[in-house]
Amino acid sequence: MRILGVSAHYHDAAAALIVDGLPVAAVQEERLSRRKNDAAFPLAAIEWCLEQAGLEPGDLDAVVFYERPMLKFDRILTCALRAFPQSWRSFPHAMKNTLAEKLWVRGIISSQLGVPRQKVLFTEHHRSHAAAAFLTAPVRDAAILTADGVGEWATLTVGKGTRGPDRTAITLLREIRFPHSLGMLYSTFTAFLGFAVNEGEYKVMGLASYGRPTMTDAVRKIISPTRDGAFRLNLDYFDFHTTAKRSFSARFIDLFGPPRDPLDPIDLETADGRRYADCAASVQLVLEDILVETARSLHSETGLPDLCLGGGVALNGVANHRILRESGFERIFVPPAPGDAGCALGAALYADRIHFSNPDREFPDHPFWGPGVEEGVLARLAREDHLPVEELDEPGLIARVAQDLAQGRIVGWMEGALELGPRALGHRSILAGPHTIQMRDRLNRDIKHREEFRPFAPVVPIEAAERFFELPPGGSRLARFMSGVFPVRPEWREKLAAITHVDGTARVQALERDMAPRLYALLEAYGRLSGIPILLNTSFNLAGEPIVNRTVEGYLTFRRSGIDVLVAGCTRVTKRVSGEGT
Amino acid sequence: MFLFLHRWIWHDPGRRARKLFDFAETEADGGRALVRAAELTQDRTLRRLYMLHAADESRHADLFRTRGTALRRALPAGVSAPFQLNWVSPGERGLDDLRVQAESDASLLAFLHLSEKSAAGHFATYVDALKRDPLTRAVFQEVLKDETFHMNYTLAQLARVAPKRHRLVLWRARLGRLWKAYLRVMSAIAAVMGTVILTLQYFILLPPFALLAKRAERREPQGWTPVSPERERPLESQY
Repeated sequence: MRILGVSAHYHDAAAALIVDGLPVAAVQEERLSRRKNDAAFPLAAIEWCLEQAGLEPGDLDAVVFYERPMLKFDRILTCALRAFPQSWRSFPHAMKNTLAEKLWVRGIISSQLGVPRQKVLFTEHHRSHAAAAFLTAPVRDAAILTADGVGEWATLTVGKGTRGPDRTAITLLREIRFPHSLGMLYSTFTAFLGFAVNEGEYKVMGLASYGRPTMTDAVRKIISPTRDGAFRLNLDYFDFHTTAKRSFSARFIDLFGPPRDPLDPIDLETADGRRYADCAASVQLVLEDILVETARSLHSETGLPDLCLGGGVALNGVANHRILRESGFERIFVPPAPGDAGCALGAALYADRIHFSNPDREFPDHPFWGPGVEEGVLARLAREDHLPVEELDEPGLIARVAQDLAQGRIVGWMEGALELGPRALGHRSILAGPHTIQMRDRLNRDIKHREEFRPFAPVVPIEAAERFFELPPGGSRLARFMSGVFPVRPEWREKLAAITHVDGTARVQALERDMAPRLYALLEAYGRLSGIPILLNTSFNLAGEPIVNRTVEGYLTFRRSGIDVLVAGCTRVTKRVSGEGT
Repeated sequence: MFLFLHRWIWHDPGRRARKLFDFAETEADGGRALVRAAELTQDRTLRRLYMLHAADESRHADLFRTRGTALRRALPAGVSAPFQLNWVSPGERGLDDLRVQAESDASLLAFLHLSEKSAAGHFATYVDALKRDPLTRAVFQEVLKDETFHMNYTLAQLARVAPKRHRLVLWRARLGRLWKAYLRVMSAIAAVMGTVILTLQYFILLPPFALLAKRAERREPQGWTPVSPERERPLESQY
């Protein structure tokens, strides 16, 4: 069967195609349109997926949308009614927004792709998350926990899944419903701290390490436990359910102080700067406590050793580490794209395994489902601009780039198919030596142009990971797709200064040779030169732009940033030293 | 008279700062769109020029941001401008309503030329309006110099890539801009009409349903909601 999964209209639109139960292609629309977090209907992504498989839309057996639009509309309308008359400003906006496009998904898919309406299917948002987490993980039975801002009504679900030759099932046991939402709680603090919602949550997590959780009592005033072990938000402190303009209320400001203006830099030397960091630390701690408690009770209930985590909240690596350490689960599986982009893949898998009852297939355990690097393009572009080009064989390339890195150069690294999900996991990465603060500052200043409090991540061969990082049992699995934040062993912190966060942790990627053999070989070669087989690995993009996809995008990013060396396939290009040539 | 209006708009330091930040955003967006154009073109010269242009836009964004920050720092605490009046005194329009990938080299150059020309006109007015703030004025003067280069290179390149029909392409682009301006105005009118109608419906039709919804909400249990197997609907359903 040929099933296309689609997610769109909120943030991170994507398409994923599975053929006979296995993924053939999956890509986020932003990587093709070059608009960060592009939420538009992912026509380019769909076209690319179909082209990749040599299919026409008419060849598809089903197109599955990742949520149920009418159920979502039901929630939006009900919330507007409940908030009457305070919702009078947001109501016209919400209705125009929904009625203009989001409600007519079946018609849009049918008309854009020319597929019959009956071939268009819908999964529930959190079932898509659950499927993306469970059906891509190498497990037979597992507990499932999904948490995000909101889908239709659910904001957090728990359940379990089972896979086998005869039957695949995902059973959601219970859910927490909007407006009570961990994702909305975190996003409210994201907005309060002056960052963009759905984009700046990483920054809150990074900032949290600079603060002390002195305001957890205040946070617990606005999110409190219910008698059955769930939680509820005290809506007096929030406005997200009544207006689209602001997510926190005047009472929230009374409790936490004035919000940060996004135009003001965060200066941790000032009282306000410290207050922002303390706010971030406090909400982070409360979020972790709730997730750990929820996971612990799910573990007791199911008795299963494995947990699959999905939804945007699963991108919180600090919380994931605590869940692994404290909930009782032996292993945690977080897919490379736990957010809405991954729902395209989840929706397609859910339809295949559960709706059509197709037999289970072993899912390839990697994130590389996007467009590949085009051969010869980098050499052509660089020669047109009279830049030095080397076309090497693989061992030669690895040796050369390892030397570059050892000499303190920053390398843009493009190899094979693009990753699905927000993290560069070795195919579209900027690599650098992980040893000095100066390297971190140089990357922040000359390339990423971002806040200095944000950490960079390391990539390390899985076999060497425990030598440098304190991974608990099951930690290397969590680190496979950079989903956990772990302590750097104290004796290595000084030598790994560029990737060690202020609290002594790092968001580690533990790389298996099979997943990205060339990067693995580079780590080995770098290890032979420097004694430490670890590289700083950050996504290959500049501020405000999505991760690069095509070679020309990597090349032009290289040209307008402080990256010293660009590698695409087996081609290596460097910048001219000033004064050299024309 | 318009100069008087612009002087008044730019007189308030809070608004001046905020407008510079807005302009910085637009310039940064424009820079990204130009990089996109550079990624897409097969013409080596255009790629190089688009990259130079993008670097200029990025530099302009920095200039606006730096000056905006300085103005903001000089403001007394808690002062902010209530409204921006960006429709009267816009920044560079950028390529925000242009799908770069859908344009040919010639049509994109024509659009860029007109866009730069229009921005240069606006910025020249702001230079005049900002006589009392020489530092902000200097920023606009600096940007204006680049706009002149951008106007010239886009026109020269248009004549190169479409030697026989560059005038026609320019006219098409002018009509395209006019059409887009018309669409913007009509969309704004439609949005206002939609808001009025929906707001009326909100207050006239919704109150009884709101009452029912509030009553139902009070009966809703707090905490976990069990997901019963019966709730699972077939995938054909949108509900």
